[in-house]
Amino acid sequence: MKRSLFIAAMLLLALGVVQADSGTTAQTVVAGNMNDGPYSDANVVASVPVNTNLTIIERQGGWYHVRLASGQLGWVRMTNLRLNSAGSGSSGSSTPAKSSTSSFFSLFESGRSGASGTTATTGVRGLNTGDIANAKPNLQAVADLAQWAAKPDAAREFAKQLPAKAVKVDSLPKVKP
Amino acid sequence: MNRRAACLVAGLLSLGLPTVANSIDISSLFSSIKQAITPVDQKEEEQIGADAAATLLGASKPITNAAVQEYVNKVGMWVALQSDRPDLSWHFAVVDSDDIDAFAAPGGYVFLTRGLLRHMHNEAELAGVLGHEITHVVLKHHLKELQRAARMNLVGTAAQVGMQEKGYNSNLDQQLMDKVSNATRNLYSKGLDKDDEFDADRYGVVLAARAGYDPYGLLAVLQTLQGVDPSSGKMQLLLATHPTPADRIAALSAAMEAGHMDIYGNQAEGQERFVEIVKLLPPEPVATTKAAPVSATKQ
Repeated sequence: MKRSLFIAAMLLLALGVVQADSGTTAQTVVAGNMNDGPYSDANVVASVPVNTNLTIIERQGGWYHVRLASGQLGWVRMTNLRLNSAGSGSSGSSTPAKSSTSSFFSLFESGRSGASGTTATTGVRGLNTGDIANAKPNLQAVADLAQWAAKPDAAREFAKQLPAKAVKVDSLPKVKP
Repeated sequence: MNRRAACLVAGLLSLGLPTVANSIDISSLFSSIKQAITPVDQKEEEQIGADAAATLLGASKPITNAAVQEYVNKVGMWVALQSDRPDLSWHFAVVDSDDIDAFAAPGGYVFLTRGLLRHMHNEAELAGVLGHEITHVVLKHHLKELQRAARMNLVGTAAQVGMQEKGYNSNLDQQLMDKVSNATRNLYSKGLDKDDEFDADRYGVVLAARAGYDPYGLLAVLQTLQGVDPSSGKMQLLLATHPTPADRIAALSAAMEAGHMDIYGNQAEGQERFVEIVKLLPPEPVATTKAAPVSATKQ
């Protein structure tokens, strides 16, 4: 049973699971097991103490595929980890290469556009509480949204292409952490 | 006739207003009060939502890339179709900010920043975030707060009317509209009740799962946000208006475990087409100051 589950998991992996950006690191926030597959009844391959540094390879459902400093690979529950800052997510690897002039152009975008006008970064378009509190209504922008709206059938067709199929799922209980 | 509205009118008139009672348009006042405290129908909700959306888009306008906007609308509509209000006039948009946040307005308006989109890894994560915002609309979280604020402001407006000369009442409706508009700015810079946010997290996950997505997407986004240095300023508004990512992760993961969401863990993730869409966003601005070390970050 475990073996068939493992094979099924490997097949899913081969079909393409979430590829976290290479180099995203994390620490364990609780001690826990590292398994040889992304499920709770997989074989335990290591016991990982709290505050262990590791590198995230990918995520599948509620599990991260990780590499320990020793090079050992395995799967840990995602809630056992706290992620480190790695800049942006998918853009980390997909942002187009900067042209030689990008920093030149950024000189002309002085500071943030936000009302508070902090200048921690250059060319950043901010959106803070001050921007909301001082916002002037833009009714035309609301009217313009219609051009991008999706009809239900178009949304259904788009989901089918993925494929993402509607399933019955019960509401989640309110649980005290 | 709405009894609460009638009581409020009667109460206001008995509180020192009898001398002006004859000089103000009672039916107009009554109509305004009634509008503020009775449940609104869908058409009214859409009007209130359009005003709130206009204010939000006044702070940050939509990006112009049609492919990105149409993509987000298809994903959003598919998730919204799984909700209890599939027939609302749903509008989704990516707004032109590098900061990290997402918003919902009554009537079916959902916006997220370009900065938030950049911090996601796949369509399931997007579906989770949209599910959270869709829930705010479905459960009328903002609508109820705006109505509550409007009602409080109306008492003040009515009292002012009592102190004014004859003829002032013609401005009452405009005054009320301005006050509701102020309530919108106030609500979105202060945020909803924290319980509304926790409810939106749980229900948003369920909507994403019902739509056939990996339900751990929202949790993954919250973990990513937990790793963003708060001193970068990218999450100033988000953190001012929401519980901390750590608290949300704790509450949501406990609920997901109790609800056995792991059985849906193999559902669609949609990484490939998501990454293609993110590539269409303009390059991220260049940081000129170094962010503080993440190890020093506690939330």
